[in-house]
This record gives sequence, C-alpha cells and structure tokens, in this order.
Amino acid sequence: MRRSRRRYGQLGWNALGLAVSAVMVFPVYWMVSTAFKPDSGIIAETPQWIPLHPTLDHFRAAMAQPYFWEDVKNSVIIVLVTVAIAMVLAFLAAVALAKYRFSGLKVFIVLVIGIQMLPQAGLIIPLYVVLARYHQVNALSGVIITYLTFVLPFAVWTLRGFILSIPKELEEAALVDGNSRVGAFTRILLPLIAPGLVATSVFAFITCWNEYIFARVLLNDQSKQTVTVWLSYFLGSSKHTDWGALMAGSTLIAIPVVVFFLIVQRKISFGLTAGAVKA
Amino acid sequence: MPQEVAIAAETTPSWPRRRRASAWRRALGASVPYWLILPVVVTVGVVLGYPIYRLVRLSFQQYGLFELIQHKGKAAGLSNYGSILHDPIFWHTLVRTVIFTVVNVGLTIAVGTLFALLAVRVSGAVRIVLTSSLVLVWSMPVVVAVQVWYWMTNFENGILNYVLTQFQLGDFSRHDWYASTFSELSIVTAVVVWGGIPFVAISVYAALAQVPNDLIEAAEIDGARPWRVFRDVTFPILKPVLLILTSLSIIWDFAVFTQPFLLIGQAKLHPGNYLMGVYLFEEGYLKTDFGRGAAISLVMLLIVAAMSVFYVRRMVKVGDVR
Amino acid sequence: MRGRTIWVALVVGALAVAAMTAGAASSAPTARKANNITVWLQVDAQSGWPDAVAAANQQFKNEHPGWNVTVQYQSWGDHLQKLDATLAANNAPDVIEMGNTEMTKYMAAGAFADLTSKKGSFANSSSWLKGLAASGQFNGKVYGVPYYAGSRVVTYRTDLFKKAGIKKLPSSLAEYTADARKLAAKNKGKNFSPVYIAGTDWYVAMGFVYDYGGRIATQKRGQWVGTLNSKAAMAGLAAYKAFFQAASKASKTTIETRPNPYDVYAHGGAASMIGPSWFSCCVGDSYKASTGQFVMPGHVKGTPMPGFLGGSDLAVPVTSSNKNEAADWIKAFTDTATEKVFQAKGNIPNATNLLGSTINERAAQRSWFVPTAKHWVDVENGNILRNMLSQILTGKLSIKQAASSASDNIASVLNGS
Repeated sequence: MRRSRRRYGQLGWNALGLAVSAVMVFPVYWMVSTAFKPDSGIIAETPQWIPLHPTLDHFRAAMAQPYFWEDVKNSVIIVLVTVAIAMVLAFLAAVALAKYRFSGLKVFIVLVIGIQMLPQAGLIIPLYVVLARYHQVNALSGVIITYLTFVLPFAVWTLRGFILSIPKELEEAALVDGNSRVGAFTRILLPLIAPGLVATSVFAFITCWNEYIFARVLLNDQSKQTVTVWLSYFLGSSKHTDWGALMAGSTLIAIPVVVFFLIVQRKISFGLTAGAVKA
Repeated sequence: MPQEVAIAAETTPSWPRRRRASAWRRALGASVPYWLILPVVVTVGVVLGYPIYRLVRLSFQQYGLFELIQHKGKAAGLSNYGSILHDPIFWHTLVRTVIFTVVNVGLTIAVGTLFALLAVRVSGAVRIVLTSSLVLVWSMPVVVAVQVWYWMTNFENGILNYVLTQFQLGDFSRHDWYASTFSELSIVTAVVVWGGIPFVAISVYAALAQVPNDLIEAAEIDGARPWRVFRDVTFPILKPVLLILTSLSIIWDFAVFTQPFLLIGQAKLHPGNYLMGVYLFEEGYLKTDFGRGAAISLVMLLIVAAMSVFYVRRMVKVGDVR
Repeated sequence: MRGRTIWVALVVGALAVAAMTAGAASSAPTARKANNITVWLQVDAQSGWPDAVAAANQQFKNEHPGWNVTVQYQSWGDHLQKLDATLAANNAPDVIEMGNTEMTKYMAAGAFADLTSKKGSFANSSSWLKGLAASGQFNGKVYGVPYYAGSRVVTYRTDLFKKAGIKKLPSSLAEYTADARKLAAKNKGKNFSPVYIAGTDWYVAMGFVYDYGGRIATQKRGQWVGTLNSKAAMAGLAAYKAFFQAASKASKTTIETRPNPYDVYAHGGAASMIGPSWFSCCVGDSYKASTGQFVMPGHVKGTPMPGFLGGSDLAVPVTSSNKNEAADWIKAFTDTATEKVFQAKGNIPNATNLLGSTINERAAQRSWFVPTAKHWVDVENGNILRNMLSQILTGKLSIKQAASSASDNIASVLNGS
C-alpha cells in the first residue's frame, strides 16, 4: 500500500514538473515555432500553435546575414576566455572572503557588492574613452576585459555563498591528516562546491553570451562583432523587420548556450544522485 | 567524492578544537588571502577605476553634447543632484520602483525556490526536462524575449487574449494590456520574473545538491514532516545562497531597463509609468545630459545599497560566525 | 584529472592568445590610420545598394592613391550612442550618415565640420531638395549633405476599390472621404478600415495641419513659439479628426508601429494605408498582385497633401583628421550617377533636377519637415504631439484645448537651454 502511494506521489510530482516546464518554456517554444512558420503564419489573426507549413527559409535568410560564422566564432572566444578566467580568479577570491578574517575584508566585500550596484549605462562612455586610449577598442581583448569586470564581482559574491553553505561536518572531515598545502585544500573544497561553480559558470556564460550594449559600442568591424550585435542588425533598418529571420537567428544563437549547459549540468546532479542510490 | 568524505568523517576520531585551529592556520598562512584577492582587485580596479572616477566627477559638472565634443565640462557643484532631488517625478518614480522591486524580487525568489525543490523531487528524466527548460528561458536574449511576450499580449492577435477568452474567463478579445499603468507594469513584472526564475531556481538547486542526503534522511527517519525538514535542515544550508540571490535580485530589478523600455515602447513611456532604469535613460542619455545621468546613477547606487544593506550585512555575518 | 586540467588550461590559453592577437591586428599602428577614412552608413545601404558603396569607394581610391576606405554599418537604434562614445574618445568616423531629424541637435553642439565652402563642389547642390537640405544647415552654415529621402504615399487594394465602385482615384480629401464611406459600406467587417491610420500617427496628422497652412512652431525674434493653436493649424487638426472618424477603425491611442499598418492590410483589415512607399513590400502574398499606390490628396482638389520628408544626410564629425578626404568621399557617394542608383531602388534622390515621376517622387512635390530646433528631439521623445492627437481623437479635450496645451509645451521644450 505504502509503495503504490509513493509511486502515485512520484507520478504526481513528475506531472507537475512537466506542466511547469511547459508553461515556463512556452515563449521559447513560440520563438522557435515562429522561426519555422512562413511569413503569412507569423502575422495570422488566429495564432497557429504548430507551424502548419514549416519552412527553413528563415534559417537560410538568417545565416545569409553577413558575418554570421565570424561573429559566432568571436562570441565563443570571448565567452569561453572570460568564463574560464573569471571562474579561476573568482574562486580564489571567494575562498579568501569565506575562509579568512583579514583587515580590508569588509572593504573588499563592500567594493565587490558596490560595483554591481552601479547602473552600467553610466559607465559606457568613460569606459570607452579609457579602452580607446590603450587600443582596446574594436578588439576582442577589450571586450573580454570589460566582461571580466562585470562577471568577477558577481561570481566572487555567489561563490562565497556556495562555499559558506558547505556543512561544517563535511569541511572539517576534509581537513583531516593536517592537510597543509593550499593546493590540497583546494582539491578537496572544489568538488564540494562543484554544483555552485557550475551554476555560476552557466550564469557567467549566459550573461556574456547575451550581452549587447558594450559589445555594440566597443566593436566596430562587423567581422569582430558578437552574435548579439549580429542579431541586432535584423532590427536595425528603417524598413520593416523580418521577424521570421530574427526568430531563426535567435534560435541559432541559443544553441551554444544549451549545449554548454547540458555538458556541465551533470556536475550538479552528482551530489543528489549519490544519495538517491542508497534509497 | 562526497561519499568518500562521508566515510572518512565516520571513521576518524574527532580532533581537539585548538589543534584544528592551528592546523588550519599553518595550512593557509597569513598573507595568503591578499594574494587570493589580488587578481580580482587588479582587474576590476585597473579597468573600472578611472571610469568610476570620471563618473563621479561628471555628476558634479554640467556636461551635455556640447561639452562632450569640447572635452571640457562646466563645474556645477551640486546642481545636478539638486535638480534630481527637487524633481517630483524622481520621487514618484522611486516609490513606484521600490514597490516594483519588492514584488518582483519576492516572486522570483519564492517561485524559483519552489521550482528548485520540485526539481529535487521529480525523477531523473523529468529533472533534465525541467532544468533544460529553465536554461532555455535563461538563454533567450532579452530583446527577443520581450518581442515574443509582446506578441503574446498584444491586443490585435495576442494568444493571451485568445486563451483567456477560450477558457471563458471573460471577454478578452482585443483587450489592451498596455492601456493602464498597473496593467503595463504587471506585464513587465511577468517578463522580469519569468526571466529571473531560472537563475534562482538553478542556483538553489545547486545549493540543494550540496545538502548531504544522510542529513535529510536522518531527519526524516526521526519522523519529521517535510516542512520541518525544510525549515531545520535544508533552509539553514540554503540561507547564504538565498541571501545572495535576494541581494542580487534587488540590485537587478531596481535598475531594470530593457524590459519596460521595449515592452511599453518609447512612445507610451511617460512619467506616470517610469521605473528608475527608464528614468535614468530618459533624463540622462536621451537628453544627452551626461552630468545629470551620472548623478542619477550615483543616487540609484545609494538607494540600492540602502535597500540591500540588510541582506549584505547578514551575508557578512554568516561568514563571520564561521 | 590532472591531464584534463592541463588540457583545459592549454585550450583557454590558446583562445586567450587568439583573442589578444585578433585585438592587436585590428588596433593597427597609427601610421596606417593616416591613409584611411572610416565611413558609417546604416544597414539600409548594406542590404539596399552595396554596389553603389563599392563604386564610391573605388572612385575615391582612384582619386586618392594609397588611401583606403573602411565602411562600418550601423543600426538606427543605437548609432547615436556609439557616436557619442567615439566623439568623447576622439576616434569618431570621418563620414557619418545621420537621420534628418537627428541632425539639428548635433549641429547645435558643434559636432560636425563646416562644409559651406565646399558646397559648390557637391553634385546638384544648387537644386538640393529644400526639406532635406534644410536639415543639414544651421545658423546659415552647411554641415550635412543630403543623401536620399522618402515621402508618404497611399498604398491601396485595387480590387476593393473596384468592388466599391470607385472609378477614379481621389484627387481631393473630400473625394477620398466619400470613397472611404463607399468602401465601408461594401466591407462591413467589425474592424475593417477603409483607410488604416493609427490614432497617434503624427506623421500623417501633421500633413493635414501643413495642408491647411498651419505649422508646428515658428521662430519669432530668436524664441520658438508653438503654432498648433493657430486658426489654420486647428482647421487641419479638425480635418484630421473628421477623416479619421470616417475612415479608420484603428485604436485612437496607438502608435503607427503597434500594429504595423501593413500587417493589418495583409490580414485584409484595411483597403488602404498611408505610409512610406516601401510598405508595398509587406502586404502579404494574397494581396501583392492587387496592390497599387497613389499620392495622398490634399483638401484643395488636384494638390497633394504635404508628406513628411524622411531622409538621411552625410556629415563629417569635427574630430576627423581627414576632413578634405571625407568631403571627397561624400562627393563620390552623392554624385548624379549614384543618386540615380538610389532612385532606382525606390528612394527619392537629393535634388529636384533629378526627380522622376514615381508616386514617391510626385508625393515629395509638397513636403513638410519638423522645426529645425536644437531641442526638437526632446519634443518627439516627450510624445507631445502623440498625446495631443490622442486627446483630440478620444474627445478628452477639445481641439482648441489640446492644441493650446501642446503649443505651450512645445515652446517651453524648444526654448529650454
């Protein structure tokens, strides 16, 4: 009797999970289905739930928009470099913030959280002037540096939280045998916060991937721009907007993000499944 | 790895407290923290140091397009700040934005946490569907998301009206959701919360992944009901992460710009439905009054700091206790 | 684990090096900059007439051996923000395309180089389109060279007009109103508009004002005065209200892009619409064959209603160190042959002696433009005209009240420092 109750319970949770997913993802579904609809279907009066005559024309038109592949390459380079460097630097700083008491700690925390409170719009022109002086305008490296300054404070702050939430028992058990080297300490701490690292890196990835205004202002040559700038050209002319191509383009540039997540998401489930197996 | 650690914990005798503390210190050294934070300080300091200094200076200058081209501003003392603080539009916008922020942050954190708890409960395949859906939502560029939401809510052929009418919840055909301020900002809230849930849900889910199952099972074996397990075991562990998520959400939702600007549209924006991010853009950058824009930015920073100081102090304290 | 870490580090390192070298290659040594001009054009040129751009580049290179041209395409939404940043950092382009309504603010701020002495050297400069040329002049000096223009026309359903028994296209506002009633009688759908006009489409509404001899604002002794409450202007507003009520079922408070008129037309929701001539691109497959265009008639029979002259100018930012070469490039890009290319693509060329007789060009015979005031952009951003139209159409305020209040607002904004 108990077991079948639990099974119905599980079925209920699963059904709820699927329903919630469907509702949340609906606008994304609408974007993707619009990409496959012919123009007449997009502006139809009664909404078409499923594309009746799916077409690949919009995807062709989107990829024909100049510099698509170059801009994808630029985005990938910028984002991967930024995320990699940011995760390493932020992890080290987060360890310092979480594990130490040192003078200047409070100041550093205030700085970290304070920088994120500054509305970014105000920094565009002064930042541009500074970067131009050092020839970092119209350069991928300039964009990487800029993105690092936005991602680092957030990553430090979030990772500190994940480090602090490791239960004391696990941590103290890890420090057994007088582990005296920072490296060993890191090697043990790291897997414990792997899920937190993953969540933070996914956020960093998405933030950088979708960032628009700084990429727009800092990069001039279309061959150097990122995919978000590439996407903006669909909305940039004074004539009508090709919605189908815009939706197709958006669908295309969302793919790397999902791929990245699917690769790293296994790390999050690790802690949970380890326990679940026992049950 | 957590399994091995758990086994080690069971089989190792507990060490006396003082010996643990000195082992710790020996292990890590006193100057280490400074080395650890140095790269971050250098990167952020070198890149943002001068621009932030310029921003503060700008706020005390009269600096429009003319001054931009001349590269020289006119000293204006506190007049930028004065004009903002004496502007009734600023105060109305502030109140409206504070209410907006409270509603948005509350909804995002609450619903996001519920989604995370749900993700823990469902079975493996559904979990992947749920988390992938969240990531898909998260990965949509804001501009595109706003456009899709606009299509869903427009009065000519939006599906929101269509669905509401079909479900016989009233006659919503050609209902204009952008006719009143409350209605407009509700749609903006829906878009912002919808876009903010994935980050909260996935972060909380990751934090839950760090909760050792044996702790939960121990509590459940003791006969505790799900709510008490959550309150006594899970929530304390989630607290640091939730504090962070709340403080970040406050910062982002207070300054939100793209969603209201694009959804309501420049033509329908007016002081009656301004949010602070839109106010900054309209009063500062659309009018190319960079000095005023800088002053508004700094005022916003102070307000957000005041709003999130409670959470930040808790965050710092949580660290200190350890 | 260790092996993988090294592998990851190597990949990141390689990417970082790639990024740095990509960056270094672009920020080329300053020596090269001396023989290069940077041109900012809008994406319309990239998709519409890339050959004309290439030809102008080639002509420039022939005249200036050893020189190179870098063309970077911009979007309308944020090209001004980019311009502000580059002006602040002293690396603004040498040539920039500006919308004609964007010019005045930048001219007043001293953003552009004075081209008055070179005016004679630009092709057809003595017969530049008045409305477009005016947008490039400030305080009697020339800062912008007219590039191309577009006017407003009526795009209509030939089959619906025929079915309603309209034998001749209307040549006056009164005739058009009568035709609208005929169309309404034959198409009794709930939301069918014989003439789709969005309520707050001020581009159309102001045409009525100018048709009756009114203006938005004039300058008197250096001060701007709002003139929408003059007798002539109010007659125009009344004519607009009457026409709207007879012919358009659009929302009284919505703007002209929500929804797009051509989307309504493509659903069969309108028999005609007033807008730029390129509207014919998006009328939907079912109506493509039965769509035509004609010039919007004014209230005096046989005269066109003044259409809003949209368009672009080319200017040289004052921070450029290659002003002469920049002017030469503009010369090449606006010469008669290139203007004829723009004309062939459906635009209006920049001089009256080049005008042909397409619907678009005939509509430009009578045109109106916004007051060339430094703060005009703030009037637009403040939605003063839109709010006035909305109040008039919904009946919230009488025409006199709404127009007077709008005039006062406009004056205070235009005269603000």
